Amino acid sequence: MLERVKKKYGVVVVGGGPAGLGAALGARDYGEEKVLILDRQPEAGGILLQCIHSGFGLHYFKEELTGPEYAERFIEKVIDHDVDILPASYVSRIAADSDGTKKVRIMNEKRGILTVEAQAVVLAMGCRERTRGAVRIPGTRPSGILTAGLAQKFVNQMGYLPGKKIAILGSGDIGLIMARRLTLEGCEVVGVFEIMPYSNGLTRNVVQCLNDFNIPLYLSTTVAAIHGRDRVEKITAAPVGKDLKPDLSQAWDVPCDTLLISIGLIPENELTQNLGISLDVATGGPRVSSNLETSMPGVFACGNVLHVHDLVDFVTHESLLAGRFAAELARGVRRPGDNIQLLPGENVRYCVPHTLSPGHRHTIYMRCKTPMKPCKIRVGNLIEKKLRFVFPAEMIMLKLKPDLLDKFHGDSLRIDILPLSKEGRND
Amino acid sequence: MIETRQYTCIGCPIGCPLQLEHENGMIREVSGNECDRGAKYARQEFIDPRRSLSTTVAVSGGVWPRLPVKVSGAVHKARVLEAVRRIHALKVEAPVKMGQVLARDFMGEKGLQVIACRTMQRAGDISQFSRQLP
Repeated sequence: MLERVKKKYGVVVVGGGPAGLGAALGARDYGEEKVLILDRQPEAGGILLQCIHSGFGLHYFKEELTGPEYAERFIEKVIDHDVDILPASYVSRIAADSDGTKKVRIMNEKRGILTVEAQAVVLAMGCRERTRGAVRIPGTRPSGILTAGLAQKFVNQMGYLPGKKIAILGSGDIGLIMARRLTLEGCEVVGVFEIMPYSNGLTRNVVQCLNDFNIPLYLSTTVAAIHGRDRVEKITAAPVGKDLKPDLSQAWDVPCDTLLISIGLIPENELTQNLGISLDVATGGPRVSSNLETSMPGVFACGNVLHVHDLVDFVTHESLLAGRFAAELARGVRRPGDNIQLLPGENVRYCVPHTLSPGHRHTIYMRCKTPMKPCKIRVGNLIEKKLRFVFPAEMIMLKLKPDLLDKFHGDSLRIDILPLSKEGRND
Repeated sequence: MIETRQYTCIGCPIGCPLQLEHENGMIREVSGNECDRGAKYARQEFIDPRRSLSTTVAVSGGVWPRLPVKVSGAVHKARVLEAVRRIHALKVEAPVKMGQVLARDFMGEKGLQVIACRTMQRAGDISQFSRQLP
């Protein structure tokens, strides 16, 4: 049984969700012996613990697991590898000494305020949900309005139902999953309202969470107002035009006592910003080099704090790498900096990492702006890859071979997603 | 008489709208699919639609009041709600180990089990996993 926190660590990981667990494991696998995970919750595991549906682990474990199982397998691994985990601990500040050593200030109910030293820090704080304020829904401010993820925690861990008659704004996967969860728990879900003309969730979830239970999905429709004094009594739904503004002449009222909001996720980067690390406006996360290092040397980032992923397996893949690079730095191995900027071009909302260097294997994660099928991804003039489709809700993973950049002499590389021309289709 | 059923393929984000034509339960043709997965999916949905099922049960004395559980095999689509009702009737006491079997031969199907999806320590035990720092 471990009894005290060491004063000095090679790698300190902020966040004990899938990203943090993966990073810790990556660091241990590389040989770093002193690794600490900090988590503000009473136990590690992160949001996986409330995602009780299955569908996790197909890539990494080659079997379909529920969220809690995926988390527990990783926690067991991490503990087997003698990683220290300090739960119920809030990181209030990270500062860098002139010699590059990081000081991490932690608040813990039993231990008070303590500071640990680290050679490298991995940021793995995940993301938070956008709220009603982010889309400014008019109306009253009664009880019964909450984000879908919070409702998920209430239902799956704490044993509370948020209401009986539920409307859901936004058709991202969490909203869809919650529509099914609440139906199984005996609630009535009156509808899912999506402002875009397509669902932002996986088709599988639209079919198995909505269609199976005859829950209507209203596309190109939004919630134009919330009514009720103490408790939500009804919402006004309205179709939207091309400008995404509600057409109130066609609005209708939907009686309900609860409105769940599932309108996207924002990387949680307060600590990152306090460090003065530069962020990417498109991802909401830090800008990182090909070894997932932020603009501050020795500070790495992975998982949803870097950019919002849709599969935990990809988070794990990315985090194992981040942990490994952090351990490398903690051991004093310094890679030469990247010399090629990666720029999002046509129909590319973002790509991560932000820079590349020749001679390395690279995995590029990216998202498109609008759906397109069929299409091709073009990386500078170096390679083209045909795809049957791209969707904003589905992250695109592109692997580049180590020798690809050998003959490239520019200082920036643009990635475009383009429609397949007729000639392109025939060749 | 030839009848048509509509499905949405779940194989990939394209979500092909599928039409399955059948005559007295005999499948004649699947159309609308852009690849083979669609045809396979429509046939499966027509013959024996099944869903994997996970939910929670009340657990007494644990660090959380709810314990996530799953059914070891897929349940027929039409019996999902019934299955959930039966699972909710289970009574569980902490501590529970991940993988612990909470019900056997569930829904009268031999070998089908209800399984705990996480370890649930008793409330008051210092931390969930013994080697997380106290």
